[in-house]
Amino acid sequence: MTSHTTNTPSTSVRIKRKFGAAPVAVNIVLLVATGYFLLPVFWLVVAATKSRPDLVSSFGFWFLRPQLFQNLQELFSEQDHVFGQWMLNSLLYSGVGALVGTVLAACAGYCLAVYRFRGKEAIFSLILGSVLVPATALALPTFLAFAKVGLTDSYLAVLLPSIISPFGVYLSRIYTQAAVPLELLEAGRIDGANEWQIFRAVVLRLISPALVTVFLFQFVGIWNNFFLPLIMLQNDRLFPVTLGLYSWQSQISRNPQLLLLTVVGSLVAVVPLVITFLSLQRYWKAGLTTGSVKG
Amino acid sequence: MSASVVDAPKRRRLGSRIAPAAFLLPFLIPFLLIFIGPIGYAVVQSLQKVERVAGLFGTPTTVWAGFAQYQRALSDSDFVASIMRVLLFGVIQVPVMMGIALLVALLLDTQSARLKRFHRLAVFAPYGIPGVVAALMWGFLYDPRLSPIVSGLEAVGLHPDFLGTDHILWSIANVVTWTYAGYNMIIIYAALQALPSDILEAASIDGARPLRLAFHIKVPLIAPALVLTAVFSIIGTLQLFTEPEVLKTITTTITSTYTPTMASYSAASANDYSYAAALSVLIAGVSFVLSFGFLRFTTRWNGTS
Amino acid sequence: MAKIRRSVALAAVLTGAIALASCSSGTSTTTSSDSASSCAPAGGKVDLTFWNWGTGMDKAVDLWNEKNPDIHVDLKTVPNGNAGTYQNLFNGLKAGTAPDIAPIEYDTVASFRLVNGLKDISGCADVGTSASKFVDWTWSQVSEGKNVFAVPQDIGPLGLYYRKDIFDKYGLAAPTTWQEYYDDAVKLKAADPSYEITHFSQTDPNWFTGLLWQNSAKLFGTQGDKWQVSIDSPQAQEVAAYWQKMIDQKLVSTDLQGFSEALSKAWDTDKVLTWVSAPWGWSTIRDGAPDTSGKWAVAPIPQWKAGDTANGNWGGSSTAVMATSKHPYEAAKFLLWLNSDPEAVAILIKETGIYPASKAGADDSALTSGVEFYGGQKIFDTFKTAAAQVNNDFTWGPTMTDTYRFMADGIANALAGKGTLQDTLKDAQAKTIDSIKAQGLQVVN
Repeated sequence: MTSHTTNTPSTSVRIKRKFGAAPVAVNIVLLVATGYFLLPVFWLVVAATKSRPDLVSSFGFWFLRPQLFQNLQELFSEQDHVFGQWMLNSLLYSGVGALVGTVLAACAGYCLAVYRFRGKEAIFSLILGSVLVPATALALPTFLAFAKVGLTDSYLAVLLPSIISPFGVYLSRIYTQAAVPLELLEAGRIDGANEWQIFRAVVLRLISPALVTVFLFQFVGIWNNFFLPLIMLQNDRLFPVTLGLYSWQSQISRNPQLLLLTVVGSLVAVVPLVITFLSLQRYWKAGLTTGSVKG
Repeated sequence: MSASVVDAPKRRRLGSRIAPAAFLLPFLIPFLLIFIGPIGYAVVQSLQKVERVAGLFGTPTTVWAGFAQYQRALSDSDFVASIMRVLLFGVIQVPVMMGIALLVALLLDTQSARLKRFHRLAVFAPYGIPGVVAALMWGFLYDPRLSPIVSGLEAVGLHPDFLGTDHILWSIANVVTWTYAGYNMIIIYAALQALPSDILEAASIDGARPLRLAFHIKVPLIAPALVLTAVFSIIGTLQLFTEPEVLKTITTTITSTYTPTMASYSAASANDYSYAAALSVLIAGVSFVLSFGFLRFTTRWNGTS
Repeated sequence: MAKIRRSVALAAVLTGAIALASCSSGTSTTTSSDSASSCAPAGGKVDLTFWNWGTGMDKAVDLWNEKNPDIHVDLKTVPNGNAGTYQNLFNGLKAGTAPDIAPIEYDTVASFRLVNGLKDISGCADVGTSASKFVDWTWSQVSEGKNVFAVPQDIGPLGLYYRKDIFDKYGLAAPTTWQEYYDDAVKLKAADPSYEITHFSQTDPNWFTGLLWQNSAKLFGTQGDKWQVSIDSPQAQEVAAYWQKMIDQKLVSTDLQGFSEALSKAWDTDKVLTWVSAPWGWSTIRDGAPDTSGKWAVAPIPQWKAGDTANGNWGGSSTAVMATSKHPYEAAKFLLWLNSDPEAVAILIKETGIYPASKAGADDSALTSGVEFYGGQKIFDTFKTAAAQVNNDFTWGPTMTDTYRFMADGIANALAGKGTLQDTLKDAQAKTIDSIKAQGLQVVN
C-alpha cells in the first residue's frame, strides 16, 4: 500500500485519499510514543525470565540466562498454588461483576431513557453525581456497613460493590436515546409484545455496542481495583491477583524471592486483559464514541 | 408510582406501569444500599467523636461533635498540603496526559500512519497493567542503584534523581500518565473515527492543511470526548494512592500524608475513624466540586443539570 | 528464613486498619483493674485458630497438636506481614472474625488494648507465675499491674553489624562509643567517598525509637489515669542531634530505604558498611548481600558514655489472646508452651529464625554456635548479653501507629533537608498529644 503525495491539487470528490500529513514525521513520533509505552513492558518481560540475583544485578533491558519456565513453575506452586487461585478469583470478580453490572445498567439506562415517571430526573441526577465521587472515598464506609451485616471477607464483599456502575447507566441511557427509535417500541407494543420482550428482542440488539463498552470498562475497573478487596478481604484465598501481588510485594523484605515472583506474576496477570481486549476489539470502538460524541 | 410511556398510546396496559420499576429497581436498590448508604454513613461518622471515661484506656463512647473533625482537618497543615500537592499534580499531569493522548489519537487518524493497530495496542497496553505493578516496574527503572535507564543516562554525564524529594511527585505523575494515557487515547480515537467523513473530506478539498484540519476541525468536533476523559482524570487525581504507596518502599521522600487519600487512611489506621470519615467526605466533596465545576465550565451536561 | 519483625506501623496506613474504638465489637475485658481475670478450661475438645505471618511456625504447631489432641490449634499463615495482619485483626475484632491467637509486637500492645482487643489472661493456666521464664523487660511490656495481655515470644536487642574486613583494612577497631562511630564514619569517608557508614531508614521509625530507648529516653509515661508524652526529651534530643550531624555531613546515606533492594545492593557492593540492628537482622544481610559472606562481624552497640552497657530494642513480638476468643484458658496454655517450652522454642529458633524472649531459649544450641556468614563468629553471644541490658522502663503510647507515622514523616523531611531530626521529635510530641486526645484519652501535658 503506497501513498505518494502529488502536488497537483485534486478536484475530484471521488478521490478517496485524504490529505496526508508528513508521513516521516508522523511515524517517527508514533514510534517514539510507542517506545515509551512499551519500554517498561519490555522490561517486565525480560525481568520475568531472570533469576533473582540476575534481576537485581544484570542489565535490565536484555535477557540473561532465561529461565521463564522455571519461574512460572515456582510462581504457580508458591504458597500452595495460591497464584492460580488469585487469577481465578480475579476472573470471577471481573467476569461476574461486569456481567451483572452491565445487565443492571442496561435495564436502568433503558428505563431512564424511555419511560416517564415522577422523580426520574432526580434519580438520574443522583446517579450522574455519583459518577463524580471517587471510589476510594467510599471504600471505608462500605466496609463498615458490610461489617455490620457480616458480609466482609467473602466473595460477596467484593462482588456486591462491583455490580454498581453509575457510568454504565449514563452510557446506556444516552445510547438508548440515540439508537432506539420510539416508533419501534410502539410497533412492538401494537404487535402485542410485553415490555420485557420488546427490550430483549429489539433494544438489547440495538444498544449492544454500548453494552460491550460498559462491560469492558467494568471488567478492567474491577480487575485493576485493589483498594476495595484490600479492605474487605482477610483470607488470602479470596484475593484477586492485584491484591495478591501487592501482599507479596509488601513481604519482599521478609522473603527476597518474592520480588521475582511479583515480577513474574505481574506479567501473567496482564495476559487475560490483553486477551479480553483483543477478542472484543471489534465491538467496543463503536460503543466508546457514544458517551462522548453526544453533546 | 404513576408511570406513563412517552408518546403514550391510548390503551394503557398494566405492564407499562410496572415495567419502569422492574427495569430500574434491580439497579436502584443495590445502588442506594451499597453506594449512597455508605456516603450517608460516613457523613454521620464524621460528625462524631470518641470520648472515654475511667482509666488509662477507658471505656469508649461516641458523642456528637458537630463540625469538630472538619475544623481539625482544615487546620491540619499536612492534610491541606496534601490537597495542594494533588492539585498541583493534577494541573500539570492531566493536561500533559491529555495532550499525549490527543496527539497520538490524531496521528493515528492520519493517512500517513503505518502499523496503526500495533501502535494502538502498544499505547493502550499499560492500561491493562494494575497500578501496583506499574509502580513496582517504574520503581525499578527509577532506582539509581538498579535502573538500566539511570545507568544509561549516567554514562552520558546526566545524573537524574527520580526518587529525590524534588522530583518524586513528577516521577509518580509519569507512572500515572503512562498507565492512563492509552485509555484516554482510545476514547479520543474512537470519537475521531466516528466523525462523519464528508465533513473532513470537504475540509481537505477546501485546502485545509493537516495541522489545521486536526486542530481547527477535528478537535472541536470531539470536544465532548476530551471533556469526558478530562473529568475522569481529575477524579483519578484526587484518589492518588497506589503509586506513592508502592514507591514509598524504595524512596525516603514520601510521607504518610503525601496525598489526601493516604492521609485519610493514615487516620483510619490509627483508629481515628471519625477523622478519617471527615477526610473521606472532604476528598469526595473536593473531587465532586472540581469535576462538576469543570463540566459546567466546559459543556452542558447532556440536558440534565 | 528469619522472620523479620519490623513494625511497619506506616504500612498499616495503606490498609487503613479500621479499629473503630467507638463500635468495637470486642467483648469488654476488665481493663486496669487489679484483680486477676477469671479463666477456666472449657473441658472437652477445643479448636483454636492462630494467625501468624512468616514461615516455619507450622512445625511447632504440629508438635503441639500431636501432644495435645484435645486442644487443636489451627494455624493460618496470613500473607500481609505485620501491618496487614493488624489491619485484619482490627477488622476481625469488629466483624467478629478474629482468630483466638495472634502475634502482637510490643509497641502495638497498647493500641490493641485501646480497642479492648486483648484478653487479660493473668488468671489463665500458669500465666500468673510465668514471668520469670522471660527476659525481664519483656514482661513489663505485656502486662500492667497484675493484668497480663500477651506472652513474649521474641526480642530485638541492638548490636552493631559491621564490615570487619573494611574496618581492618583502614586499621579501625569496632567502635565502642557513638563518638568513635562518628570518627570512623569520617575516616572511612575520607578513605573512599563512596563509603557510607550506614543507611538511615525512613520507613522504620521503630529503629530510631530503639536508639532513643538506649539513651534512656522515655517516650511515654502515665500519671494515674492520664498519659504523659515526653518524646521531645533531652535524652532523645541528644540522639537526634547526633544523627542530624551525620546527615548534615553526608556520612550516612539518606536515599536508601530500609529493607529495599537498593540497600541490599549497596551492602553487596561495599558501599554501606554498618547496620545497628537486632539479632533477626543477621539473615537480612545474609540474604541481601551474598557476595559479602565472611566479611561481616557483630559488635556490641556503641555507647553514649564510655564503659556503659545501655541498650534498646527493635522489633520482636508477643503472642496474645484476642478478646473475642471463647477459649482463653486453652489459648493461654498453648502460648506458654509455645514460647517457653524448650522443645517448642528450639523449633521456633530453627524454623522461624526468631531470637527468643525465653531466658532458657538463649542457650539453645542454634544460638551458641558460630555463624558461617559472619566468619564463624558466635554472633548471638553478643545479643544474649545485649538482651539483659535493655532498659526495663520503657512505655509505649496508646496511639503508636500515629506516633510512628509522625516520626517517619519528620525523618523523611530531615533526610530531604527540609527539617531536622530535632524538629521531628518536637512535631511528633505535639501531634501525638493531639492524637491521644482525639481518642478521648487524657494527657498530662
